[in-house]
Amino acid sequence: MSTLALQNVSYQYEGSNKIIFKDISMSFEAGKVYTIVGRSGAGKTTLLNLLAGLDVATAGRIVYDGVSLAETNRNHYRARKAGIVFQGFNLLTNATALDNILLSMHISGIKGVNKKARALDLLKKVGISPEKANRKILKLSGGEQQRIGIARALAHNPELIIADEPTGSLDENTANTILEILASLAHDEGKCVIVVTHSKEVTPIADEIWSIDDGVFTEVSQ
Amino acid sequence: MKNKNFYVIENALLNLGKNKGRNFLQGVMIFAVITTTVIALSIHNTSVAIIGEYKTRFGSEVNIVPETLADNLPDITAEQALLYSQSEYLRDAQVDEVKIGSGAIKLVYYLKSPESLDAFRTEVQDKGLPAGYIVDIDKAGYDRMVMPMEGLKDISLTFLLIVLALGCAIMILLSIISVRERKYEIGVLRAMGMKKQKLAMGLWVEILIITSVCFILSLIAGGLLSQSISDALLAGLMNTATEPVDISVSPQTVLQIFGVAMLFASVAGIISVSKITKYEPIKILMERN
Repeated sequence: MSTLALQNVSYQYEGSNKIIFKDISMSFEAGKVYTIVGRSGAGKTTLLNLLAGLDVATAGRIVYDGVSLAETNRNHYRARKAGIVFQGFNLLTNATALDNILLSMHISGIKGVNKKARALDLLKKVGISPEKANRKILKLSGGEQQRIGIARALAHNPELIIADEPTGSLDENTANTILEILASLAHDEGKCVIVVTHSKEVTPIADEIWSIDDGVFTEVSQ
Repeated sequence: MKNKNFYVIENALLNLGKNKGRNFLQGVMIFAVITTTVIALSIHNTSVAIIGEYKTRFGSEVNIVPETLADNLPDITAEQALLYSQSEYLRDAQVDEVKIGSGAIKLVYYLKSPESLDAFRTEVQDKGLPAGYIVDIDKAGYDRMVMPMEGLKDISLTFLLIVLALGCAIMILLSIISVRERKYEIGVLRAMGMKKQKLAMGLWVEILIITSVCFILSLIAGGLLSQSISDALLAGLMNTATEPVDISVSPQTVLQIFGVAMLFASVAGIISVSKITKYEPIKILMERN
């Protein structure tokens, strides 16, 4: 059974005639890594925003666990069900790396864990030392910020991980580590991982690769 | 066990430390507004209290005086004066005789309440007060004492209203600027799934803490400044010498100022809530990115 599904989804920006997607349907299952590739401006981030519940489709439905996102509490969905890695990181810049992770846990209402220990562990997994964990975001490099963004997306142990260019600012080694983490989340922990990227380096971990071009989705054979 | 909303307060406290510059500026503005409110309210309340006291004191002092200083006016005998003093409307049976020139005297009685003047007048007339005498309060003395205080009260009231209006305007402006400055932060928190109500609560807690600190500092500063400002105002208003007016921040004034401070914090809170309600995280983040 699919975790997340697009059902005849169309989208166009308010006040614009340009149709970004028209009548697309696809589904995402737990335990798999999906990669959506496409050139810049193809609508990858728009798709991510729709999947993340940050935006609403102009037509059609996006269904998570049988419930349309348009009809559900999307705050709750983002706080508990989905972990989002943004291309622009979107971290609280005047807070420390640790505070960013802890705040995400607080918002999600996660219980029964030592939040600080879990946050430090997640940061360590993505290669952020405890010393750097207590630094303010602005004092960290772009690559470090991206890794913190990834750790934050995993903080509340979401069932769905949606990542926009998660390796875009990382060196090859760190990128590989992150990809291994994402692959393990899907294959070992049964999460549904959706990665939106223009880079081909993500594709080796993907179970399914989709291409987006002119609002049309096509499955790419590996 | 911690309340599930406790993190909102914790985060608000952390934010106070993170945004020291902005919070300091906001605090200075709030401090200025509350301090001027403290001064205006202290002067106003003290004026009102003093006017009340003067009204009671001078309004209770009732005189029986000749309408004119005519020679053919019958004298009021000591027995009559004593008879008039035996009234239920008087504080006690005391009567003072004051010479007012040309051999005439003024009888001074002390009413229990200024409102009993008409009843006392009728009673005295019924007891045989000769024609040509009037029963009234010392209006000249009353005006001399009360009018400057009325002036001070009016000035402080006008000042208070201006301060409240300006204070609200400043708080609204500060809130708008603050929320606009923090738009990105709001966008990130909303994207992480934080509810609008919790965000608004966090911002409100922040402004509440700043306002509370300013409230305490303003009470001290306002208390110190009120006396000298009041003295300066009275010096300008009074041509005749009068006893000094002791301006103090009474518990009632503290409560009123607390109410005003909370009103300011609430105004700021409402503005924050209304602004946040309009923001959609996707729009904020797209603008930023």
